[in-house]
Amino acid sequence: MFRKVLIANRGEIALRINRACHELGVSTVAIFSDADRGSLHVRHADEAFCVGPGPVMRSYLNIPNIISAALISGCDAVHPGYGFLAENARFAEIAADHGLTFIGPKPALINAMGDKATAKRLMREAGVPTTPGSDIVANADEARAVCAQIGYPVLLKATAGGGGKGMRAVTAPEELPTAFATAQAEAEASFKDGRMYVEKLIVNPRHVEVQVLADEHGGVVHLGERDCSVQKPSHQKLIEEAPAPELDEAVRARLHDVATTATRAVGYTNAGTLEFLVAGSDVYFMEMNTRIQVEHPVTELIYGVDLVKEQIRIASGEQLGFTQDDLHPHGHALEVRVNAEDPDNNFAPAAGTLTTVVFPGGPGIRVDTHVYGGAVVPPFYDSMLAKIVAVGRTRESAIVRMERALTETRIEGVKTTVDFCRELMHEPEFNAGGIGVGWLPAVLARKAAAV
Amino acid sequence: MTEDLIAARARALAGALAECGFARLRVRDGETEIELRRTPRNGAGAGSVPTFAPAEAAAPAVAPERRADLVTSDVVGVVRLLRPAVTEGQELDGDRELAYVETLGIRNPVRSRGAGRVSSVFVTEGQPVEYGQPLFAIER
Repeated sequence: MFRKVLIANRGEIALRINRACHELGVSTVAIFSDADRGSLHVRHADEAFCVGPGPVMRSYLNIPNIISAALISGCDAVHPGYGFLAENARFAEIAADHGLTFIGPKPALINAMGDKATAKRLMREAGVPTTPGSDIVANADEARAVCAQIGYPVLLKATAGGGGKGMRAVTAPEELPTAFATAQAEAEASFKDGRMYVEKLIVNPRHVEVQVLADEHGGVVHLGERDCSVQKPSHQKLIEEAPAPELDEAVRARLHDVATTATRAVGYTNAGTLEFLVAGSDVYFMEMNTRIQVEHPVTELIYGVDLVKEQIRIASGEQLGFTQDDLHPHGHALEVRVNAEDPDNNFAPAAGTLTTVVFPGGPGIRVDTHVYGGAVVPPFYDSMLAKIVAVGRTRESAIVRMERALTETRIEGVKTTVDFCRELMHEPEFNAGGIGVGWLPAVLARKAAAV
Repeated sequence: MTEDLIAARARALAGALAECGFARLRVRDGETEIELRRTPRNGAGAGSVPTFAPAEAAAPAVAPERRADLVTSDVVGVVRLLRPAVTEGQELDGDRELAYVETLGIRNPVRSRGAGRVSSVFVTEGQPVEYGQPLFAIER
């Protein structure tokens, strides 16, 4: 096991990793920007280094300062969390060059899965069903030829893309030139990589993803699926749950089987998530995330496995302490993302000082957060303030519990998604389960029309 | 930087102000410049929080007024003082290199940014430093 781990992240996930390390008896080193001096992730770490000013390019993405902090403080490993450097193969290589273990998969796999076109090809070769589509298309004309074959509607996607950036839906050929140009420009600006590919657009699918763990000795398990279909119009997840409700048992079993088979086939190690689109009984591989995910707690609560601790154990060379037969889910868990955003204004992010912060508690509630009353929300980062997770014996009881927890929650000083998500707990279609990714945008459109 | 962030940065610099015993302290970082002034009625002991106010709303000047520029580290690394090492009280006749901070084998020079008297040396040879950490105070 490691002696000391540098946590190359901020916010709730940095705190989450800090907790896992401390429970394993591992010392921690936090990094922070000038803007995060007062964050809880700094306070709870054994040591902390300021690595730069507020803007991420100079702090949380400042590889020399981060590696330097790890070396100065005598760390033997670095945990990247999610976002920032989590899927940066170059960072993983530089860490290794300086004798630091990167807590995640091998750099070659980060690269392969980070490039969506390559990832799809590798998965196809491993027998995983993927959406009909193309390899890289150079321009709108090439895209048009592909679209004619697979049929409209299609999605133009940036191979380096993520978070909905560099992505456009196209319903007819005449929309192609403009859509291609704007999506490519967005990809160039966001990822410095403007390579695009085309994919058949599956209308209103469900977003279902499978959590896997793989050790460095050939052990591979899945920890079931999560349903992340409640997404904002920007395709960002807002509410996640495990297991996926109203899912055909044959489809569920197929997802689990495909995920573990693919994990083995590509030689993946550490924690990973395979994202699928599900439409009826059809499943299509979308992408593999080579990191811990924001919504990992819903899986932890129903499987009783600490995924972050498992990541650290695997990276330190340990074998998985369980097999697939040992893993059985119990109950149902829901997660709501509490973001500093205005749901009445296209979820525009907000920054400022949190004047009041009261989080819920009681049976079946878990809150992962880095904020507190008086904390400052800087304008530089992701707007997520907290994750509220509710677990119950049934989905119905988890929804009731979540509704109760969100009623207890009081955050003042910035607009948040708390009240909006509490209202969603009363929506009949959400309660029925099995909604697609188009559901929340439709709810928003309905509300806008009613005003 | 937002007002909240400037205030947070100013609080972080408060310790350095108390330590070097000046009435005024100024630190520059790219587009932002922070100036701290200590007012006698607040009490000036170590650990006291100096008043932060924009220059135009500053408290009446403290006499005799001395002003120091803080030279801070731009990187995370290990301090290497140049030989002969700069000492407190030393007069600098111009912009001089005082030390470098070593980050992953790269030398990041630390300069005095002009003439003045070295009033404080906050670091020792081989000391690890973080971003923004005060290294020297230069009295202008």
